[in-house]
Amino acid sequence: WKKDEFRNCNQTPFCKRARSRKPGTCSLIANDVSITDGDLTAKLIPKNPQSQSQDEDQDHPDQDPIKPLILTLSVYQDGILRFKIDEDQTLNPPKKRFEVPDVVLPEFVDKKLWLQRVSTETIDGDSGISSIFYLSDGYEAVIRHDPFEVYVREKGGDRIVSVNSHGLFDFEQLREKKEGEDWEEKFRGNTDTRPYGPQSISFDVSFYGADFVYGIPEHATSLALKPTRGPGVEDSEPYRLFNLDVFEYLHDSPFGIYGSIPFMISHGKARGTTGFFWLNAAEMQIDVLGSGWDADSGISLPSSQNRIDTLWMTEAGVVDAFFFAGPGPKDVVRQYTSVTGTPAMPQEFATAYHQCRWNYRDEEDVENVDSKFDEHDIPYDVLWLDIDHTDGRRYFTWDRALFPNPEEMQKKLAAKGRHMVTIVDPHIKRDEAFPLHKEATKKGYYVKDATGKDFDGWCWPGASSYPDMLNPEIRSWWAEKFSFENYVGSTPSLYIWNDMNEPSVFNGPELTMPRDALHLGGVEHRELHNAYGYYFHMATTDGLVKRGNGKDRPFVLSRAFFPGSQRYGAVWTGDNTADWDHLRVSVPMVLTLGLTGISFSGADVGGFFGNPEPELLVRWYQLGAYYPFFRGHAHQDTKRREPWLFGERNTELMREAIHIRYMLLPYFYTLFREANTSGVPVMRPLWMEFPSDEVTFSNDEAFMVGNSLLVQGIYTERAKHASVYLPGEQSWYDIRTGTAYKGGKIHKLEISEESVPAFQRAGTIIPRKDRFRRSSTQMVNDPYTLVIAVNSSQAADGELYVDDGKSFEFEQGAYVHRRFVFSDGKLTSSNVVPNSPGKTRFSSVCVVERIILLGLSTRPKSALIEPANQKVEIELGPLWLRGGRAPAVLTIRKPNVRITDDWTIKVL
Amino acid sequence: ASLLSKDPFLGIAPQDEKYYKSSRDIIICKDGSNKFTRAQLNDDFCDCSDGSDEPGTSACPSGKFYCQNAGHVPLSFFSSRVNDGICDCCDGSDEYDGKVKCPNTCWEAGKVARDKLKKKISTYQEGVTLRTLEVEQAKLAIAKDETELSKLKNEEKILKGLVQQLKERKEQIEKAEEAERLQREKEEKAKKEAEGEVNQDNTKAEKEEDKEEEKPMDSTHDDRIGILEDSPLDQDVAEHHDDSVAGVEHGDYPGNEGSPTNEIEQHAVEETEAFAHETGLDAGSEVSADEVVELGRDVSENNEALSREELGRRVASRWTGENIGQQTGEVHAVKENEHEGHEETPTDAHDEEDDGYASETDDDNQRYDDDDIEDHIDEDFGEEDHDDSSSSYKSDSDDESDFSDTTTPRNPSWLEKIQHTVRNILQAVNFFQTPVDKSEAAHVRKEYDESNAKLSKIQSRISSLTQKLKHDFGPEKEFYSFYDRCFESKQNKYVYKVCPFKQASQVEGHSTTRLGRWEKFEDSYRVMLFLNGDKCWNGPDRSLKVKLRCGLKNEVTDIDEPSRCEYIALLSTPALCLEEKLMELQHKLELMNKEQPRRHDEL
Repeated sequence: WKKDEFRNCNQTPFCKRARSRKPGTCSLIANDVSITDGDLTAKLIPKNPQSQSQDEDQDHPDQDPIKPLILTLSVYQDGILRFKIDEDQTLNPPKKRFEVPDVVLPEFVDKKLWLQRVSTETIDGDSGISSIFYLSDGYEAVIRHDPFEVYVREKGGDRIVSVNSHGLFDFEQLREKKEGEDWEEKFRGNTDTRPYGPQSISFDVSFYGADFVYGIPEHATSLALKPTRGPGVEDSEPYRLFNLDVFEYLHDSPFGIYGSIPFMISHGKARGTTGFFWLNAAEMQIDVLGSGWDADSGISLPSSQNRIDTLWMTEAGVVDAFFFAGPGPKDVVRQYTSVTGTPAMPQEFATAYHQCRWNYRDEEDVENVDSKFDEHDIPYDVLWLDIDHTDGRRYFTWDRALFPNPEEMQKKLAAKGRHMVTIVDPHIKRDEAFPLHKEATKKGYYVKDATGKDFDGWCWPGASSYPDMLNPEIRSWWAEKFSFENYVGSTPSLYIWNDMNEPSVFNGPELTMPRDALHLGGVEHRELHNAYGYYFHMATTDGLVKRGNGKDRPFVLSRAFFPGSQRYGAVWTGDNTADWDHLRVSVPMVLTLGLTGISFSGADVGGFFGNPEPELLVRWYQLGAYYPFFRGHAHQDTKRREPWLFGERNTELMREAIHIRYMLLPYFYTLFREANTSGVPVMRPLWMEFPSDEVTFSNDEAFMVGNSLLVQGIYTERAKHASVYLPGEQSWYDIRTGTAYKGGKIHKLEISEESVPAFQRAGTIIPRKDRFRRSSTQMVNDPYTLVIAVNSSQAADGELYVDDGKSFEFEQGAYVHRRFVFSDGKLTSSNVVPNSPGKTRFSSVCVVERIILLGLSTRPKSALIEPANQKVEIELGPLWLRGGRAPAVLTIRKPNVRITDDWTIKVL
Repeated sequence: ASLLSKDPFLGIAPQDEKYYKSSRDIIICKDGSNKFTRAQLNDDFCDCSDGSDEPGTSACPSGKFYCQNAGHVPLSFFSSRVNDGICDCCDGSDEYDGKVKCPNTCWEAGKVARDKLKKKISTYQEGVTLRTLEVEQAKLAIAKDETELSKLKNEEKILKGLVQQLKERKEQIEKAEEAERLQREKEEKAKKEAEGEVNQDNTKAEKEEDKEEEKPMDSTHDDRIGILEDSPLDQDVAEHHDDSVAGVEHGDYPGNEGSPTNEIEQHAVEETEAFAHETGLDAGSEVSADEVVELGRDVSENNEALSREELGRRVASRWTGENIGQQTGEVHAVKENEHEGHEETPTDAHDEEDDGYASETDDDNQRYDDDDIEDHIDEDFGEEDHDDSSSSYKSDSDDESDFSDTTTPRNPSWLEKIQHTVRNILQAVNFFQTPVDKSEAAHVRKEYDESNAKLSKIQSRISSLTQKLKHDFGPEKEFYSFYDRCFESKQNKYVYKVCPFKQASQVEGHSTTRLGRWEKFEDSYRVMLFLNGDKCWNGPDRSLKVKLRCGLKNEVTDIDEPSRCEYIALLSTPALCLEEKLMELQHKLELMNKEQPRRHDEL
């Protein structure tokens, strides 16, 4: 962490300026409020042309009169209000401000509701009128004309979320440079020419009925966002959203790291959940304002509810924001992902364990590591190759001395059902002998510097240039590079890792690209910065789809991300450190990513930098086994840390942790499908499942995997006890011992080295596969175990989703999605979607070999399977097949019913 | 049910046949965890937590599957590999669900394996003989060393006595001379001519002494240079460093003064190491980190002073821990970080122990001087005295002219000679009176100096022998001959040098990186451990693990660096060709041969 290398708010003029504004300084009023093309539009003009620019005048003495801004409000299905403000294009501004394309789904645009009617009223305490229109059943959107304010409220009642309630709205319009005016900004020897001058935007957003706000990754910090300003907050930076490659990032800091999602979620016991998303790719800074921050302002909002105010500031772009009405946590993520897309359905192998290191050095090393996994009976699915597998860090090439036969190497792994991932970064080595560089140069495909020459920065290969991924033509060119013909040495079992795509530029300002670098159509890098990695990820993913003729699901891991990245693949939390604090912070980081759409994420198990003590490594495996993306990774300076290198006992513990993941793969895969259809993340904060349980709101030590499993990490050395809060009214079953614990209580538990605490919620059914193979590939035909934990009414339900695990045929209905319901002593399996929608069918020979019943009040001896009318035994069997001390639980032995069939099993 | 094999006893090892067959209808799991019926044996449902009810299916995660592999060796592995679509047994018996076809390849594979085993056995047979020889020689050599040692100690004792006597005598003479001188002063300077003669004699004697001492001194000096061959380099470094500082401050970056308020590189100090190395390297030298830090401080305010490339490299080096390559922008500068990692090492050592370096080397010098003297001596033994089993020690070659002459076995009485001489001297001088016989006095002095020199040589030999014999040469002293040897292996541009009981290093051109100092044997003498080598920039001290295995020649192969700065090498040596292991292998071959005709029908 090199603090001085990065700009803080005070060194960032737009941030400093916005932070120093006083509440109530915005004097804009909404004029000409009307309906145009089904949207509500208005012009924002200063109330009093003389007084409008008191504040402005200080900055720009010879200011032209302020031009009106155009405000557009649109309503979409499912309680979504879109809110745009831009300059008036009819007045010919010097430049069109950048709006980020390719993020909002085309399908979403089609969900627009055409406004028919607006009513006006004078709301209590207001001097002027407000226009009110329909948002969804139960919600209304309101625009107050004077002073201008926009908010969403419950029909005729309490506010939910509002903008500019504190009058902090400010929009610097593009203008001609005055004589003698200096627009340049300098930071640590880098000069930003800022040819278009100041163009920042800032405004306040208030969330009502909120106890906490969450979201806006990526920061290494708590799940519930701490205030950055206000009484009792000493000198904190705002939460920064600026994609940066930060060396050895701290474990608790509002500082911006690899990715940016300007999406905030509020949650409160009274109101429920609300979301606010601002689609803007420029640098953003967000203050969470502690209650009482505005004590001097004299502004009182007409709501007695708990309120959290926030201040949003950005350097450039337009206002294109979305309000999500909720009211539940899952509603908000559904609404958000209906705008930016739901997470892609991963290949099944990608949901299993990945083994990575910078670097597995040569083919012999790869072979050796691979065989050691088998020798130690530890499954893994993917072996990764970092930058040094290439010829001088020219991506798409191989160091032929170390990897003389890459195809053969991949085939050897593929013969065991294993896959490989190689790294492809966006920096292209400036080497005339490198065809990719030659071609990109010739075609003019590189990002340009401020003078119009190919931008030349420094990264792993030395002098490098960066393809302009904003350009669809260039993305398509890039995608072609992944074809088997172009990527020599690649095979169908090879997938891709995108690193350094913030982009990382070692000799650039703040280790990234200069803001005045130029993209397609004269778009400045400052306007696009946070989305660069997104476009790169997109192009790479498209490349893999093309490579497989649209038949093979891609897998691309990216470090940088932006709203919508979930559609293209997984992300991880970057270069973390092997210490307990980083283990601890990985949970809120992954949870936050999940809340903001990126469900498929994880942290490097073991910590990238440094050498973990064996105990830390074991704990990390035990926790990491529940990350949606589960990968062990390490820096080149660290000692080898493959799971068998720390003595037999530790090998056993890590093996066990990895086995748990493999056992739960059917459950995980079902959850990935849920995320794919609804946006609801695989790994969830407790409050997402228990939205009215206040105790859970700031808990980020424990988390839910789906709705059935609660996991508590262990974040300290030699822990003997842990306090675990189990929410809700139902009991919880320890997944290893089957012991029941009461819900709604904090339990002080004894902790063993064998596992981190994990509990199945009563009333749920979890599908497992209890046979351990070398990789998930060999598990395809293995039989299932269903673990039924009944609730106080002796009932439970759960789901199982299965498809071929690799193709896109599931989109045509080639899948099995079963719903299991247990009630009145009867387990029923039925289709979730009664009539399979598509033409293609999915077939499976898989059966259920074992059904475990937890919490049943009776002691049945046998069960009857319908419609086969077959009787099977119920006996006491182990809850856990490994280890001799597994507790005995009621087990239906070998029902052997097919997962594709409808059936009923009646406990007798 | 379709998954089930027709053979209800599939996957059962021969030694377990009884267990499954003799039991009645109810069988107890081997671990006692549960019981199962005969029908539940291999019924593809796990009843025993140890997997004992499912030897032939994948139902139990802890189960073991046995394949007989007739024609080859039987195999026992995790039952998770049964019906997983991958052929694990050469007889194909692990895949019976019809999803894949596994042809029986045991005969061919078995033949290959047997041939391989036979070859291995013949290596072992030959190796065992070599080893036996080695062990015998080692025993003799050690006995010789011990004899020599005890003899030396004896000699030391006697010689000490003589030296003491001579010393006393010398002092006596000196006292007398002093008295005489005083006397003479009184008696004026009438006898100048006679004195002149004495002086002449003295000078001559001194010259001879010088001769004796010069040589060993020279040799030590040589050795020193040999060991510290990069120390002149270090000096260069310092000089060049100054240059480079000057360059940075004044020459290369004139823009510097223009931006004093620039806040850019305030913290450059933290990372200047790499950068400064670089500048250092650009100037054709290397710079110690301490110096670098200072350098960094000097330019800390000065980001623009860095070229953009240098800045990029410097930042990259945070992740890589590399000292960035010399050639600006060169391809391999970036690519071969290994290479760079090593290049930086001399600096590293320096860096870590800037002050310590000198003192450490001093220590080392002492130690290595010892070692080297031993080496010389031992070499002499090895090359010249191999045939005649002289127990007396041969002096270092440097002294040969006088010292070794006296020590040759043909002339075993050098000590006696000295004793005799001393006795004569003592007797002769016993009667001495003033005036002192000048030639007699010179004789005493000479005799004293010679004996004393001899004594210290013997003592140093004793100490080196003692040190050597303290080492653990293995249970049968089979590693005795390693003591004086180094094994080299060239891999790409590096030469790896492994000197058991001493040190291991990696040499590239003129730069030597120490991979470790001798620590010990490990893992029942199957591994040699070298620890505390040169420090890695961002990592641990270097270390080397040498795995030993049976081979007919002593040679190092396959050096690898699986983790940064942790090296692993293989050393094949007859010392590892153990009789027991040979028998084991022969037994294995017998079994394999026996397996061949047997068919899989008893079950």
